[in-house]
Amino acid sequence: MNPQGRWSREVVAVLRKELRTEWRTKTGLMTGGLYGVCLVLTVVFALINRNVNYFYKATGDHPLQDVCASLIWSIVLFASLLSLPRAFLAEEENGTADLLRLMARPHAVFWGKTLFNLFQTWIGGLLLGGLFVAAVGLDVRHPWLFVLCLLAGGAAVAGAVTLCGAIVAQAANRTALAGAIAIPLLWPLLQWGVAGLQSAIGTGLLRDGISAATGMVCYAVVGLVVGPYLYAAVWKS
Amino acid sequence: MEELKKALFALVAGAVTVWTFLVPDAPMFNAPEFARMFFWHFPCPIMLTGLIAAGAWSSYRALAGGSAREVWDLRAVAAFELGLIYLVLTMGTGMLFSKYQWGAFWSWDPRQTSFLIAMLMYGAYFAVRSAFADPEKRAANAAAYMLATLLPQLFLIYVYPRLPSVMSLHPSSTIMGGQLHGGYLYVMLANMAVVGVLTVWLYRLRVRAGLLLLEPYGNLEDRRRPAGPRVVRRSVPLPHEGGADR
Repeated sequence: MNPQGRWSREVVAVLRKELRTEWRTKTGLMTGGLYGVCLVLTVVFALINRNVNYFYKATGDHPLQDVCASLIWSIVLFASLLSLPRAFLAEEENGTADLLRLMARPHAVFWGKTLFNLFQTWIGGLLLGGLFVAAVGLDVRHPWLFVLCLLAGGAAVAGAVTLCGAIVAQAANRTALAGAIAIPLLWPLLQWGVAGLQSAIGTGLLRDGISAATGMVCYAVVGLVVGPYLYAAVWKS
Repeated sequence: MEELKKALFALVAGAVTVWTFLVPDAPMFNAPEFARMFFWHFPCPIMLTGLIAAGAWSSYRALAGGSAREVWDLRAVAAFELGLIYLVLTMGTGMLFSKYQWGAFWSWDPRQTSFLIAMLMYGAYFAVRSAFADPEKRAANAAAYMLATLLPQLFLIYVYPRLPSVMSLHPSSTIMGGQLHGGYLYVMLANMAVVGVLTVWLYRLRVRAGLLLLEPYGNLEDRRRPAGPRVVRRSVPLPHEGGADR
């Protein structure tokens, strides 16, 4: 059999396993999704009785205009940090990690789980971003840039957080540690992400937003390329 | 010979320290006499660069595995521990300088912020290390994490503050633009050499101390025990020594 074909089959098998597990348990949806929706609602509490739509349309000056890019990324990031590392942590907790080591190669396992996390981040990011925009009544000047930033940033978040989850999967306090060690790794991405969303909303230059989105795409590509090799080295130990 | 080297180094370091006070004040600064802080501030990130490179290479070798994994891991830890010290020194001297030159200890300057984030990465590295009890797993996972942070670290320290869209209070043309000349240049080079020698010495010392701990206890015990017949030590006195007869 062609080894290349076997590799892709292993990736698809791991991905299907993750999708099936998520369909049965809804863990990612319940933790990340619920947490994200709660955060959006918490932000909306600041706007109650402010008649945002009325004054915003009249003056063009939204009370959250300067901070909403940071708020959106905070919501997407922390919702992802809760749900994404579980892909590897759950294997250790359920005692199925050794079985997985017997059945598949490390690169295939990493790619399968990263693809699952990628879908999860993209869907979660777009839903939570859209919910935020709708809930606070924000006018997005460049919707395509808004979506591009969330997709590119989501890919980078998925790659980095999956790797961090894999690194600490066998550690003592893995659940707390996975999120804590992923945040410093994501700072450059967050800087670009905030700049990109600011441009999309209209508080920054479009040129800066495009270069930020390019930076995020590059960051995602580097993370997704390097991640499997680092994971394969950890896998051996 | 070792003692002579140490005495010579202390003499040179002392002489260079005195030299830093002999150069004239820098009149373009808000506190002209305080410009000498530059002599101590600038070598720190330069040493940090070397330590990042050494730590990354050691991490790569530790991750590659083999019989010397623990030794390479030890070298990586030595580099990152020293690197953390230089990060703190860079930020400390920078904050003091910032207070006199820009009026506040912390201005959220891109360079200040990027060093703070780099410090968080070092903190996360040591958090990963502390989470593994098994030395093999600790070495592999910590090395993987540090290699994953290498690119963000380099970006934060060297690229991000120099982006055209980023406004920084830090002048970036002091060295590269040839603004440093005369006595300041020579003192800075001499101080850099002193700090460089000190860094290499501390690194080697840390690695040697770690290697001693890595050695099997038997070897260490053999080395400590004086030559002569081995004596079996018992904590309970024997009957003929006045202990209880069973």
